[in-house]
Amino acid sequence: MKLCMVGCSHHHTGVALRERLAFTPEQVAGALVAWHAENPDVEAWLLSTCNRVELYAAMKQAQEPTSAERLVEHLAQQHTIPVDEIRSELVELNDADVVRHMFRVAASLDSMVLGEPQILSQVKQAYELACEHGTAGPLAHACFQASLRVARRVASETDLHRHRISIPSVAIADFARQIFESFDDKRVLVIGAGEMADETLRYLQDAGARQFVIINRSQERAIQLAREWHGTVANWSDLHRELVEADLVISTTAAGQPVVTLDYFRQHVANEREQRPLFVLDLAMPRDFDPRIGDEVATYLYSIDDLRTACDRNRKSRAKELPKAESIIEDETVKFLAESRHRATVPVIAQLRGEFDTVKAAELQRLFNKLPATDDATRDEITRFADRLVNKLLHPPMESLRMEANNGAPSGLLDALRRLFQLKE
Amino acid sequence: MQNITIFCFGASYFVALVLEVVGLWARFGWHRVVMIAMAVAGLFAHTIYLAYHATLDAAAVGTPADWYLVVAWVLAALYVGGLFAMPKSSVGLFSLPLVVGLVVVAAYSSNSPFAPQRGSVFWGGLHGWLLALGAVAVSVGFLAGAMYLVQSWRLKRKLPPTRGFRLPSLETLEHVNGAALGFSAIFVAGGVIAGVILSRFRGSAATATSLWADPLVWTSSLLLLWLVVAEVFRWVYPAARHGRKVAYLTLASFGFLILTLVAMNWTGGVHEPKPEVRSNSIHRVERASSDRIHAVGPDESGHCERWGGTA
Repeated sequence: MKLCMVGCSHHHTGVALRERLAFTPEQVAGALVAWHAENPDVEAWLLSTCNRVELYAAMKQAQEPTSAERLVEHLAQQHTIPVDEIRSELVELNDADVVRHMFRVAASLDSMVLGEPQILSQVKQAYELACEHGTAGPLAHACFQASLRVARRVASETDLHRHRISIPSVAIADFARQIFESFDDKRVLVIGAGEMADETLRYLQDAGARQFVIINRSQERAIQLAREWHGTVANWSDLHRELVEADLVISTTAAGQPVVTLDYFRQHVANEREQRPLFVLDLAMPRDFDPRIGDEVATYLYSIDDLRTACDRNRKSRAKELPKAESIIEDETVKFLAESRHRATVPVIAQLRGEFDTVKAAELQRLFNKLPATDDATRDEITRFADRLVNKLLHPPMESLRMEANNGAPSGLLDALRRLFQLKE
Repeated sequence: MQNITIFCFGASYFVALVLEVVGLWARFGWHRVVMIAMAVAGLFAHTIYLAYHATLDAAAVGTPADWYLVVAWVLAALYVGGLFAMPKSSVGLFSLPLVVGLVVVAAYSSNSPFAPQRGSVFWGGLHGWLLALGAVAVSVGFLAGAMYLVQSWRLKRKLPPTRGFRLPSLETLEHVNGAALGFSAIFVAGGVIAGVILSRFRGSAATATSLWADPLVWTSSLLLLWLVVAEVFRWVYPAARHGRKVAYLTLASFGFLILTLVAMNWTGGVHEPKPEVRSNSIHRVERASSDRIHAVGPDESGHCERWGGTA
């Protein structure tokens, strides 16, 4: 089996080029169809996420011109970019390195946020697209099945996925969930309409939140965000009323001074809330909420710095799990390659066994013709004797092939077998 | 079944508690399985013990020791249920000490029947069971209140849950707190009213007067009064329906419950002076097992009655 991968990722390539090379699912389909038309014997799949664009190819034997060059050309063609412009930016991997890389990607060891769960579904999507457009064959199936198995092993045997390290995810999963059992009946107030608010709303919606109220000095942006998240827009002048009604507050304004001071909170909000718990996530810099508000009864205020500590702690905990995860990847890579080489010997073994069986059948027929008086029981015994003889004769070469495959491609031994027993290619 | 002793299930609960505590720092491969096995084994032995002694006494709350064991059993059952319903929660760190504590108190409590006197079997049983349920509700409220305060303290200090320590959300704990306060008021009120009716069955105004001189009666009444005041306070003051105030109310309720239990241990559960013993209606008190006393024999109306239980 020959494997090849060409691509770029967040490790070495800037976002500008990654954006130029990125594929939508429709474009992936088009690229795979075009590949299949040009290279019907070569399996291929394309993984395109915000952090990576990688084109993989798998074939039974190496083909000329080298696969990597064909892959680079194909990527360039799909985006009508000159090959020379991207060649130096792309990474090329072959055979065992491709397997190892696929396993690391699926297990989220190669992700920007180590252990993030989305990559596995993106890998699955790449596989489904390849299957759908006929570019996935037995080699791709084996690679993807093994990748998914490895990802599951890493997830279950290490704590890599347990610790969240993005600020909104930590805020929601580690803190808001400790205050509220469910979010579907909670009112979420968003002050400001920044990107962090957008990301936090995504986590909240995943957690079940449905009622979003957006307050922003610019109504236009508030309306846009409200439309995106099926929320409502409130006037800035209604801030205190919305603070009284809210259960969760996400604040991300670009104001130069606190939007909610301690006096404001005490005078307009605290009493009217009647000590209902309030979760405040202040993602603004400088902060929108006076930090002393966090000391008020039933008010749980978190700023970026509070959560960054938790994120860093999680990051360190993850780093401890890395060696264990890498060891799983190495173990599975060795196993996968050995199995692949075993699979490569199957046609020769089948051919050899076929030859032996043909000779055996011919000799048995000749013997039974010479001994017509032989009864059925004796014939069966003789047949079984011949079977055992063939099996015992074939066992040593098979075992040698298996041992050789464990240590590397047994091409020399396969060639010798072909020549010794005059097997045809 | 008679070989099962308090020590059997007390030790099982204690091992489960040790595993809960050890789990704060380290968890070995079979940690949870062993913990569940110990808790379930303890509950099983506890159930068998209570069932066996109920067949001897015809009531599960016939003695102060029984009464503690029944309360401990309900709390242990809630803990075992929680192990499956909330597998990642550290509720056991709070509930198991209470369960173990109650079992230990039961081991040192009186095995003499609650005031084996004449009266109503029905009202006596109802009185004992409602007070036991009231004690369970107050205990559950206390556990939820304690967990609420710990959880709130951690959240104020920005401490995320760890693998070994995770509590239910504040919202859940607040609901449990409120419900426990309401139910405990209902059960204790029911228990006290049943006790009053029972005292009427038994007799005279003089008896009623002597009841009010009994520490167990007035501490129970104090507990009821507190629970009613707490409910009224929550009703008229909306801020007391949320957050730490409810937790404080349940903690205070537990304080009153402790007072009542101390009074019960002090008096042995007997509310009034022993009645005059008549030769034709004597309660023969026999030792039914090595560690228990069993009251048998009918009174002149054909049945036996205990304060807080029936026989």
